[in-house]
Amino acid sequence: MKIAVLMKQTFDTETKISLDAKGQIDSTGVNYVVNPYCEFAVEEALRIKERLGAGEVVVLSIGSEQVESALRTCLAMGADRGVLVNDPALEGGDEYTTAQVLAKALQKEDYDIILAGFQAVDDGSGQVGPRIAELLNIPQVTIVTKLELADGKAVATREIDDGVELIEVPLPALFTAQQGLAEPRYPSMKGIMQSKKKPIDRLTLADLGVSAEGVGANGAKVSIAALSLPAPRQAGKIVGGEPAEAAVELVKLLRTEAKII
Amino acid sequence: MTPTRQLGMYQDGYIIMWLLTLVAFIIFGKGIYDRYKLWKLGVPEDRKNTASFSRFLINSFGHLRLLKDLYPGIIHWLIFWGFVVFAIGTGSLVLEEDFGLPIFRGTYYLVLSLALDLFGIGAIIGVGLALWRRYATKPERLDNKPEDAISLGVILALLITGFLLEGLRIAFKGDPWATWTPIGNFISTWFAGADPNTLSVVHQVIWWIHALLTFGLIAYIPHSKMFHILTGSLNQYLAKDKAAQSITPLNLEDESIEQFGVAQIEQFTWKQLMDGDACIRCGRCQDNCPAHLTGKPLSPKKFTQDLKNHLSLTGPLLLNKKEDEEVSKSIVPEVIQEDEIWACTTCRSCEEQCPMFVEHVPKVVDLRRNMVMMESEFPQEAQLAFRGMENNGNPWNIGWKSRADWANDLEVPQLSDEANVEYLFWPGCSGAFDNRNKKVTTAVVGLLKKAGVSFGILGIEEKCCGDSARRLGNEYLYQTLVQENVETLNGYGVKKIITTCPHCLNTLKNEYPQFGGNFQVIHHSEFLSQLVSEGKLKPQQSTDAVCTYHDSCYLGRYNDIYAEPRAVVGSIPGLRMQEMERNQTKGFCCGAGGGRMWLEEHIGERINNNRTEQALQTGANLIVTACPFCLTMLEDGTKAKDVIETVKTKDLAEILWESVQ
Repeated sequence: MKIAVLMKQTFDTETKISLDAKGQIDSTGVNYVVNPYCEFAVEEALRIKERLGAGEVVVLSIGSEQVESALRTCLAMGADRGVLVNDPALEGGDEYTTAQVLAKALQKEDYDIILAGFQAVDDGSGQVGPRIAELLNIPQVTIVTKLELADGKAVATREIDDGVELIEVPLPALFTAQQGLAEPRYPSMKGIMQSKKKPIDRLTLADLGVSAEGVGANGAKVSIAALSLPAPRQAGKIVGGEPAEAAVELVKLLRTEAKII
Repeated sequence: MTPTRQLGMYQDGYIIMWLLTLVAFIIFGKGIYDRYKLWKLGVPEDRKNTASFSRFLINSFGHLRLLKDLYPGIIHWLIFWGFVVFAIGTGSLVLEEDFGLPIFRGTYYLVLSLALDLFGIGAIIGVGLALWRRYATKPERLDNKPEDAISLGVILALLITGFLLEGLRIAFKGDPWATWTPIGNFISTWFAGADPNTLSVVHQVIWWIHALLTFGLIAYIPHSKMFHILTGSLNQYLAKDKAAQSITPLNLEDESIEQFGVAQIEQFTWKQLMDGDACIRCGRCQDNCPAHLTGKPLSPKKFTQDLKNHLSLTGPLLLNKKEDEEVSKSIVPEVIQEDEIWACTTCRSCEEQCPMFVEHVPKVVDLRRNMVMMESEFPQEAQLAFRGMENNGNPWNIGWKSRADWANDLEVPQLSDEANVEYLFWPGCSGAFDNRNKKVTTAVVGLLKKAGVSFGILGIEEKCCGDSARRLGNEYLYQTLVQENVETLNGYGVKKIITTCPHCLNTLKNEYPQFGGNFQVIHHSEFLSQLVSEGKLKPQQSTDAVCTYHDSCYLGRYNDIYAEPRAVVGSIPGLRMQEMERNQTKGFCCGAGGGRMWLEEHIGERINNNRTEQALQTGANLIVTACPFCLTMLEDGTKAKDVIETVKTKDLAEILWESVQ
């Protein structure tokens, strides 16, 4: 069983986002981590391999050399090798271009299972996984909390409103991980030491046979017009007085100030 | 006539006696050598720098630690000094009789005879009390094994036969100096008028019984708890003072090392293995263990004994194993349960009470290191703390950029703006992030400013000191944090650090030197008590309260800071201090040490509630602490006991700040 895990490196979840003078997100001093949803995917891949007692877990990512630390974290957890697609032409890409490039990278090998986080904690778009499945023309199940394998098929449990849905798909297939799929392990020292020696393949667009025209800022379907921070939370207001009068006042405020009724 | 006594009565039997002596000493020596071989299975460890002959003298002949628990301490004193005087007596006798040295005579003989009688009767009283305590009153901490009965029985038999021999000798041989042996003289009256020939036979029989008991005891020593006569002394000599204060660092750079921490018995050091043979199962450790006393499965005594017994079983297999044969098993969970190693709060009370200077806490940390770094098996909650420390330099995982938010309105100089200050104030993670403890930080800043102290903070450049990570067994994370902090501190040329957290204090002061961080580290209680005694802070406002002071383990037992916090409390007008029963060296942990701050407490009674109960028993309406963890734990305790409205929990800096305004 050969398993690919798509991994995105994101800001640490506790980062306080601020904008620089140009209105762009200020990344000075920010800690980078493995996107937590991708971490669930890595853990699930490792557990599948451990259950079967054989197989290979390959972690793929796209980005600059900075991503190496996140790949090493996954290797320390137990993944076998990493693939990093790094090309200056990828700068300014969006979900569409990322999916195009990663799909090409995935096509270089035959994977039985592709796992990814169902979304990244930074942009939260949740598109890359499903787009790749479409490009590769394989089944997909998103927001998965449980995955069972048998006889070349997979039964995935996914969250839906007010319940769960069980979907059976033939392999190869792509699954995106929701919290609850597998609690990520803490890398052991042995894992950390070994991770330093595990291979990470670097691929460029040329290696993938992708032209720079259709990717990065050139190919992006989405362009960001402006970024702004949410308004700071206002202090709450307590409406005093007799209950009857207070209720009248509250309704008035909800209508005129909060404008929600 | 020179005073002496009748000697050489049974010279016909001397060959047999000396043969028996030889046999006894061969068994004795073989027993020691067998145990020595087991210790040598351990990893090498150099103890030359920590060895202390005076510590051995004070604690063996002086009974310093033994007498801290008075009743059993006195029992031991009586038996111990009985042994010492009898050793001198027997030695003198042998020198006189077998080596012809005229020593067992004259004034020396008379004084020695008197001493032998008095210390002999003292030892009988000691053994009697020991039997009474062990088999009649049965304190919880004692577990009785056959060796306990055998040891006490043989000693008692030796003492009784000794006195009988003396009495019989006086009765049938006569002794002009008998008044110098009052007990023997008294016993001789029992045989007054008896047939001298009969007495002579009885004397000879008892003499042989006495001799056989002596040889038996010598042979028995290394095979029983009596071994502590040697191993205990050796342990007292070779111990490391406050062993848990600075945990031995691991070499994480050397890629050829494949094992971190201790998984199997032979991975302990030889000294750690010898510890087991020094343990005499007295139970002082468990009598003071917060985990044991609140119903957790950990007992430091059982822990030490389990490791010892495991060594006795596995050691011989290891000595005889073929190459590549796997005979040693995983200590956790085969010998020690996971719940035991995670229950330890590293409060050091076991080590502090142990008369043999057994070092329990570093062993717990070694086992945790294996579980965390090799097995990756540890309480889930610890992972949250580890990740927080990794990503944001604090166990709460609060965004690191908000570390200095507490100082926003306080105008505290940051070293990045003004490095030319005398002291660095280090509030630690609790003081910087925890809302309750931020108030303490604010009070300390107010006091330092009022006293005109030149100080600054690192602000967002400060990171977790790593104490919790190290004591939870995550040495890798600890060293990462230390390297970053040492770089920052040395970069600013920091020399003196004031901290409000005893955990930061201990590691910065005693462990950072392992990594090139050498600073003078001062706890705020020390610094504030100095400012008060110098008159730079004048407590004036009176507080009408009865207070009790809770000793932080890392301040008290780890760093001997007991007087300074009490001096600060004592300087505040109106405060009346009521000590808890367990205080200072016997202080009771709040439950948060050793990284337990970040773990759930599922088993038994909550330690903080137990300690809060102890505080409430004093009748205090103010609980004073000097540690952020203790403050959190005890205030939570007052919530649990539903007394938070009437009993306040405060750091000493807060009450001082209220008093000087």
